[in-house]
Amino acid sequence: MTSPSPAISARALTLTLGSDAAPVQILRGIDLDIPEGQICALLGPSGSGKSSLMAVLSGLERASAGALRVAGADFASMGEDDLARARRGRIGIVLQAFHLLPTMTALENVATPMELAGEADAQARARAELVAVGLGHRLDHYPTQLSGGEQQRVAIARAIAPRPRLIFADEPTGNLDVATGHEIIELLFARRAETGATLLVITHDPELASRCDRIVTMADGRIASDTHAGVGSTGA
Amino acid sequence: MSETGLSWSAAWRIARRDLNARFKGLRLLLVCLFLGTGALAAIGTLTGAIEGELASRGQELLGGDIEVEVWQRDLTPEEKTALAAYGTVSGGTRMQAMARAGDEAAPVELKAVDERWPLYGRASLADGRTVGAPPAGQAWVGQGALDRLGIAVGDRFRVGTAELVAAGVIAVEPDRLSEGFQLGPTVIVAADLPGRAGLTAPGALYQSKYRVAFAPQRDPAQVQEELEARFPDAGFDYRTRERASPGADRFVGRMGEFLTLVGLAALVIAGIGIGGGVASYLEARRTSVATLKVLGATSGDIARIYALQIGAAALAGTIAGLIAGVLVTPLLGVALDGLLPVETGFVLAPGALLLAAAFGLLVALVFAATPLVRAREFPAMALMRARVSPLARDRAALPWVLGGLGAIVVLVLLTSNYPLLAGGFLAGAAAVLGLLALLGWGLRRLTARLPRPASPLLRNALANLHRPGSSTGALVTALGFGLSAFVLLAGIQTAIDGNIERSVPRQAPDYFVLDIPRDRGSDFAALVRQQHPQAAVNMVPTLRGAILAYGPKNAMIRVSELEEIPDDAWPLRGERGLSYAEELPPGSRLTEGMWWGPMYQGEPQVSVDEEFARAIDLEVGDYLTVGILGVERTARVGSLRQLEWENMGFNFVLVFSPNTLRDAPHNLTATIELGPGETPRPELLRALVRQFPSTSVIEVGDVLAQAQTILGQVGVATFAAASVAVLAGLAVLIGAIAAARAARTYDTVVLRVLGASRAQVMAMQLAEYALLAAMLAGVALLLGTGLAWLVITRLFEFEWLPHWPTILAVLGGGIGFVLVFALAGSLPLLRAKPAQALRSL
Repeated sequence: MTSPSPAISARALTLTLGSDAAPVQILRGIDLDIPEGQICALLGPSGSGKSSLMAVLSGLERASAGALRVAGADFASMGEDDLARARRGRIGIVLQAFHLLPTMTALENVATPMELAGEADAQARARAELVAVGLGHRLDHYPTQLSGGEQQRVAIARAIAPRPRLIFADEPTGNLDVATGHEIIELLFARRAETGATLLVITHDPELASRCDRIVTMADGRIASDTHAGVGSTGA
Repeated sequence: MSETGLSWSAAWRIARRDLNARFKGLRLLLVCLFLGTGALAAIGTLTGAIEGELASRGQELLGGDIEVEVWQRDLTPEEKTALAAYGTVSGGTRMQAMARAGDEAAPVELKAVDERWPLYGRASLADGRTVGAPPAGQAWVGQGALDRLGIAVGDRFRVGTAELVAAGVIAVEPDRLSEGFQLGPTVIVAADLPGRAGLTAPGALYQSKYRVAFAPQRDPAQVQEELEARFPDAGFDYRTRERASPGADRFVGRMGEFLTLVGLAALVIAGIGIGGGVASYLEARRTSVATLKVLGATSGDIARIYALQIGAAALAGTIAGLIAGVLVTPLLGVALDGLLPVETGFVLAPGALLLAAAFGLLVALVFAATPLVRAREFPAMALMRARVSPLARDRAALPWVLGGLGAIVVLVLLTSNYPLLAGGFLAGAAAVLGLLALLGWGLRRLTARLPRPASPLLRNALANLHRPGSSTGALVTALGFGLSAFVLLAGIQTAIDGNIERSVPRQAPDYFVLDIPRDRGSDFAALVRQQHPQAAVNMVPTLRGAILAYGPKNAMIRVSELEEIPDDAWPLRGERGLSYAEELPPGSRLTEGMWWGPMYQGEPQVSVDEEFARAIDLEVGDYLTVGILGVERTARVGSLRQLEWENMGFNFVLVFSPNTLRDAPHNLTATIELGPGETPRPELLRALVRQFPSTSVIEVGDVLAQAQTILGQVGVATFAAASVAVLAGLAVLIGAIAAARAARTYDTVVLRVLGASRAQVMAMQLAEYALLAAMLAGVALLLGTGLAWLVITRLFEFEWLPHWPTILAVLGGGIGFVLVFALAGSLPLLRAKPAQALRSL
């Protein structure tokens, strides 16, 4: 029996930014396989390349070199628009600064990725997801009318409503207080568990990291360590 | 899951959510389109309405389907019979005359009409009566004549030797427009009155006008051809219903063209504002665009979403402009009352409105395409990095820009009465835009290479002009165009004012007197000097005739056989004033040939205006034939003269040797120049009218006042039109400065955090804009005055007489406005405490 193909498979991934006169190597030959359904924490000091790695793996940035397959698609050979299409329905992203669309209500924000994908029942599914994250009473509120925690709930709902195979979260609690941050993490893990999606989360929080199946630590653009949690650790 | 692009309906759903109901962020686009399309809509509607009136009411305005006029004689029976074959004929006489009542006298336009007048339309009096020709012994009188004579309806007055009763005040005279420029109020009398009053004696200056109402309907041009062929030397002037008033047509056409070009200029300037406004709007949405891309939107989806937003705003601005343009048209009509040949009320001209909308939307497309195409390339990574590297230049917008430009050019050329001028204007506008873009690029390169000043204030100001992300290019274009618009307006206005002033010649006579009997010249002069001993009286014999042929003796060209008469050979058209003289007339300078001298009895000779001679290749030694009262007279060209038209003296294109015309029936025309410090007095007028009842006296001051009034109204119209361009320029300036300021907000806040005082920050801004304005002042002066010169000399055919101090003051004012606005916008940010401002970033 052959093992199923990983959700993410990266080989010799590099990322170089800046001008020809002053190039900056952000990622230096990353090799990484993440199986389907795994919860993976990405740790490392500032400037280690965590966010850039996530950007490349989620298709927000094109790698300078290397091979990359994500959810069965060859990201390394795709252009900007192809990557955007590839993200639809496959990848959900939660960002530290929430990045909700300020001129849309909570409902509209959550519906937007499904509308971009041409889903007919986008509004209904968005409504259901917002109820699931506890914001059924805030459907018509704008981001400026929501607290930070509520905005991040909307962001989580937006990421999960399309039922993606992969979820990327870049310091989802970075702009929140400790108590709210805990609530958000609980919500994120709970919603992920319902969908069975692969989760990659960037965090500085060791407690959060300990709840993950795997901890990948980066330093200076490389993977410094890659530890798997004990058997039975599901992060639930 | 859809792998294809977002549908238009889905894109509109997303676009609508992001679009503020009050179009916040797109207001500059709205204002610019509102101004530009509003101006074009108003102009197009007004000129379309006038031209429509002139065209559809041609018969009424002319008083017939065709008009034949001739000077100093009535039509012969054969000529009348020829006209009658085409339909109903109505004939009459027009002439200058003097009306007298008691001691009062007034010059009037005497209009004698027969019982069939008016052939078309209805004449009515102020008391509501619809009338035709007045009964014998009565007259319909213009209110101005009653006022000048100090009489009322029912009172008696005299014209020539005839006594009349003022039986009604003229309210509507349907053919008034085709009568042309008038030197006095109209008095309408029965057809036989001028003869009975002794006003049409041989040699008198009067016109016979005959109009025909075709039965059955015919082509007026065809009828004119037939009459020209049948009566080639009759000296007839023709006018048809299609061109009832060529003068009004020409005026409206030129005015409309000028106003349309101004409207287009406003739209081009607005386009710059649109481009800047759209660029700022999309830049402010960089994060939203990046978020949408994170969520799976492609660049094509982004383009659709934001194209729909900008399109919605453009449509709203255009529609608002069209509505405003239509509503403003009646007001324009009121403001230009007296200048316009017909009345215009509320008018809907769908063609003009569609054209204005098309221009507006095409300009929006041309200027919004580039920032829109660039916006769709905003990377998703904009969310993860504070600032991404600037986008590479993208040529994807080029087809849209070129397509839009091409459509504008085609529309302008197809709809313009002067396609060459309009095409030249567009080419000029494109050249100016290109020049300003080049200048912006050049300024950035230059300022980057200048040595860094020691003063940090100047150093920062200079650096802001060339640093990455600076808006120097947009500012140069906006400032260059805006300041040029101010200079353009000042140039046009001061040149028109200069022409108005110039219309009063340094030495103009105080009176023109027509139809002095030739045997009473000395009596006339004596009477004048009795009233004004120091007056200078200049009298010349005056006849009317048409040039029938010209050229070498055995190869003369008949004028009737010419297919076309060029503009500068205008004396060949119709009849004109002729004279004869013993000596070279004052105001003329001989340039070729020889004057015949006193007591000349040799071969009949004529002295010709040099410009006219050159226009028809006429040389000394050639011959010229004129027709006077049906008799041909031929003379050899003895000399050429240069005329000084500005001195308002007697300037005859043709002056004959006395032996050529002395025996033809004619009267004398005189100018009276009063002594130094003397002003016209009513006593002279009364005495002249009493002793010379068939004479007409025209006070030159009144005529000049009329001309100045008309020129003044032209000035008002051009000011109003050009103001729209200036308003658009102001909007663009404000938008460009606001956009540049928005980009400067971050710097301002950080500088304050680092300890810069408010005064220092303001000084830096002032230095930056002052540097830019100083560099652009020369360019604006050159561009603005160049364009003004084109408009004044080529379109209006006036003289180039600008008032430079005013132009420079206006330019200075424009620069001052820029500096004040640039500084004023920074004040709120400078007032806030640094920590507070930092939180708002």
